[in-house]
Amino acid sequence: MRSRTLYGRYARTAYLFLLPAILFFAAFFYLPIGNVVATSFRTGPMADQWAGLGNYTQALADPAVRHSFLVTVGFSAMVVAGSIVIGLALALAIDQPLRGRVVFRVLLLVPYLTSVAIVGLLWRNILDPELGVLNRALGAIGLPEQQWLNTAPLLTIAAVTLWQSVGYTMVLFLAGLQGIPETYHEAARIDGADAWHRFWRITLPLLAPTTLFVSVMAVISGLQAFGQAYIITNGGPGDATDLSVFHIFNVAFRTRDFGYSSAQSVLLLMVIVAFTVVQLRAGRRGEVTY
Amino acid sequence: MGTRKWLLYALLGLAGLVTVVPLLYMLSLSLQTEAETLSANAVLVPESPQWGNYAELFTRAPFGNFIVNSLIVAGVITLAHLLFDPLVGYVFAKFRFPLRNTLFVALLATLMVPFFVRMIPLYVLMANMGWLNTYQGLITPFLMDAFGIFLMRQFIQPIPDDLINAARIDGASELRIYRSVILPQTRPALAVLGLFTFVFQWNEFLWPLVATTTAEMRTIPVGLTLFNQEYFTLWHLTAAGSVILFVPTAVLFVCTQRYFVRGIALTGLK
Repeated sequence: MRSRTLYGRYARTAYLFLLPAILFFAAFFYLPIGNVVATSFRTGPMADQWAGLGNYTQALADPAVRHSFLVTVGFSAMVVAGSIVIGLALALAIDQPLRGRVVFRVLLLVPYLTSVAIVGLLWRNILDPELGVLNRALGAIGLPEQQWLNTAPLLTIAAVTLWQSVGYTMVLFLAGLQGIPETYHEAARIDGADAWHRFWRITLPLLAPTTLFVSVMAVISGLQAFGQAYIITNGGPGDATDLSVFHIFNVAFRTRDFGYSSAQSVLLLMVIVAFTVVQLRAGRRGEVTY
Repeated sequence: MGTRKWLLYALLGLAGLVTVVPLLYMLSLSLQTEAETLSANAVLVPESPQWGNYAELFTRAPFGNFIVNSLIVAGVITLAHLLFDPLVGYVFAKFRFPLRNTLFVALLATLMVPFFVRMIPLYVLMANMGWLNTYQGLITPFLMDAFGIFLMRQFIQPIPDDLINAARIDGASELRIYRSVILPQTRPALAVLGLFTFVFQWNEFLWPLVATTTAEMRTIPVGLTLFNQEYFTLWHLTAAGSVILFVPTAVLFVCTQRYFVRGIALTGLK
């Protein structure tokens, strides 16, 4: 009897403490999620006419939507590959007993804590085909000018994204490396394994959970990139860098079609969830315990 | 030994240069004359630093408003996180109550919802409430997040129950227990939470872009970007604005980098 009343009292306290959070997540997460789904079935300038699955069938057949989805997937693939390869290489280097490694670690993290507005504007100034400092400098010393924002725009904005984020993946890999027990490397060294084999047979397999986490995070952030397209390329040249969230933003706030843009954001959410689930499944199969 | 070490230094040195040179160029650009920013011979070190560029920025755009807006929005959101996240984390760490697991799963599920999914319905909601272009509109969607709550729950869980029960036996109220027993022990986690929240909100771009309609209400990242779109050749002023946006987070980070590195490493904070 006594314990029941105590339980009741604690439950009351718990709910009292939780009340602001329950109201907040209901109003600013669950209500909007319900609304975006509801709006995705509607059409018209006020999004008040029932459209059924119309927006979805239209989106799946729309060449502009398909194109922007492919652009986004390509962009994400480049960001994931770069995050893993460059992030791991930097982490391996910085994991060595070198003087000044703390300074490098701090330095490489700075762009990650910098606004996409700074990163975007800075690199647009550097890379601009006419006004950019890179071309003015190359021209001044008689070297051929670069046109990367015209010839390889997607690769270029992926590289800028990596410039910003690779310090973050480096820190994640560094934590993973420091979690591998030294004894494994020692045992292999005694058995005569060289550094190359130790990396492929010990470091990389034992890093699998970190690599998985890095790739999941990179896919999630790559698929919802926005500022790069908005600030650096305005989706161009043509529609070469029309990233999905940028596309959705334009349909919603420039074309003012809330129904159609809502359907596209629900579709993109489903893609992100699917990617994440597949990656986690695949990762769990390859999991190592030690 | 020797060559390998030099190779590593070369790799890290290259990465360091690629990181630092563009940022130094931003500083240099902010001190150039307009002619220098456009000259065919790229200027890397301005002939005489134009500190007046920073003043000119404030006359060309309501840059003072941008700064105040950014401080208010990022500051209030950070305070809200510091107030609510540990409280909610404490409840999930230490209380048993009906629907506890359901509520916790419902909370964690919100981690899977990227901001762009909420963007359109939040815009409609704010428009209906008349909250577009207001501080409430900029602030309320970010008052709490599951990540901060989860971080605090993980941190509070190892605190022994005996400590809490002893305080109860001594007759302390539940709020008092939270304030005097739990909160003081969470200081390191609160530091990480506060720093990350402030920096990410200070840098936030998409929502202030969507939710503001006049220049006076913009935060620095959005105000600066739209300023650049309007005066796209005035790169020296854009760079000056970028430096203003950059300096607070850079200083904050360099002073507290241990917390940041530990925070990222422990939790994979994004």
